[in-house]
Amino acid sequence: MHLIDRYAYSNALRHVDPLIKGGLALWIIVLCLGLNEPLVGLFAVVWMGILAVGLANIPLRTFGGLLLTEGAFLLLATIAVILSISMTQPSMDGGWTIHLGPIWLATSRVSLYQGANLILRALGAAAAMNFLALTTPMVDVIALLRRLHMPGVIIDLMTLMYRFIFVLLESLERMVRAQDSRLGFNAPPMRRLQNAAWIATHLFIEAFLRSRNLQQALASRGYDGGDLRVLPASYEFDVRLLVLGALALTNLLFIWWLI
Amino acid sequence: MSLFTFSHVTFRYPTQTERPALDDLSLTIPEGEKIVVLGRNGSGKSTFLLHLNGLLRPKHGQILFRGEPLDYSRRGLKRLRQQVALVFQNPDDQLFSASVFQDISFGPLNLGLSEEEAWARVREAAAICNIEHLLERPTHALSGGEKARVALAGVLAMRPDVLALDELMASLDPWGRAKIRDILDGYHARNKTVLLISHDLGLVKHWSTWVIVIHQGKAVFSGRVEDLLDDQGIMDETGLLAIWREAMQDCL
Repeated sequence: MHLIDRYAYSNALRHVDPLIKGGLALWIIVLCLGLNEPLVGLFAVVWMGILAVGLANIPLRTFGGLLLTEGAFLLLATIAVILSISMTQPSMDGGWTIHLGPIWLATSRVSLYQGANLILRALGAAAAMNFLALTTPMVDVIALLRRLHMPGVIIDLMTLMYRFIFVLLESLERMVRAQDSRLGFNAPPMRRLQNAAWIATHLFIEAFLRSRNLQQALASRGYDGGDLRVLPASYEFDVRLLVLGALALTNLLFIWWLI
Repeated sequence: MSLFTFSHVTFRYPTQTERPALDDLSLTIPEGEKIVVLGRNGSGKSTFLLHLNGLLRPKHGQILFRGEPLDYSRRGLKRLRQQVALVFQNPDDQLFSASVFQDISFGPLNLGLSEEEAWARVREAAAICNIEHLLERPTHALSGGEKARVALAGVLAMRPDVLALDELMASLDPWGRAKIRDILDGYHARNKTVLLISHDLGLVKHWSTWVIVIHQGKAVFSGRVEDLLDDQGIMDETGLLAIWREAMQDCL
């Protein structure tokens, strides 16, 4: 969370209008989900990498690391699509089977293609989401949603939730350190579980108290209901991102049309 | 005319079963002073502060602001909170917005100012608090001292007549405290009243011009620092005498 947030505030596209970044990411996601072709996903990953690393100056290691993590989860999720497990020998034409004790693992060319298709298209969409997350601070995403006329109450909830993530993370770190310093995590498993439950309980109480204090602080600055109004941010227009983004979208459509 | 007059104010939190947080508290607060509120933990200082801009309402008694009873209607509270600003002990309780300039703009926009006027107020408050370089930063990425100054800027942008701080400097290092003190001095020089809760007896001795001592929910003293030091009875009753001697010995 902290890492993504740090890049979001320090990347080279930080001040570019989130409408461009968000619009591009959204279109890439729509194409990845809508066009049933694994190459579209693969090219989406490449294009998002070019834009994030080349244009926004996000380190390749960070961008790649995030994708690998997401890829690992996707792989786990698609195992069921790629492999079929049974206790009896499956009857398959043009497939492969492995016999492991009483268990039969089977796959086929079609299952492998379906798995790759799912993983690549989901990775393409994830890469687009990563591009947005790494280049656009949440405050800009919220501002964008405000510009798109999302209801004020949802915007306010998002703002407060985002702020509270960090406030409660700090509290959580403090509580964990306090327990750790008193050997809270060197205890027997049941005791550790109980300690973790105490942290969760105190965090809940802290969240409640903090929200009460925040309500008082807001009222103290003249808030008496309605939207939490703050100044909008000003943004820049980046022609390079616009041109490259348009090129990426055209490229994905062209690949789909070609195949 | 007094800035605030508290007459027999009593306030009890719903969960309180023993003595009330404020117990028949009566005092007057003069205008244009640098005021420090002293008292032990749990003596009722923060509760007293929350009454200043109508966040809490007394169960009994009356509060006058510039001779007029506090108006707890929506409009009355809005007017009061424009004039009396509170800064909370923990800046994280106050900073809600994701970026610094947006958080500072919250108060001015609530006053009904236009975006241009709000921007001007943001820049003015940022200049006073020396945080111009932080305006674009996310609030969660600030240090403790920076958060305190941003919280202060958030209320200064409303140009209040009275600035009340609840132990804002308690968790700051000496440099952070000095910065906040400079800001408060600058603000007081504009003929404003600054009131702060503190346990720092050095601040009482060298900075404040007026002291309020709250003990077990009652105001046992409200006056000049010299008069407090002369009042052995109160100093002894509130336990300040021993602490004061210790602090002065440390200074020597």
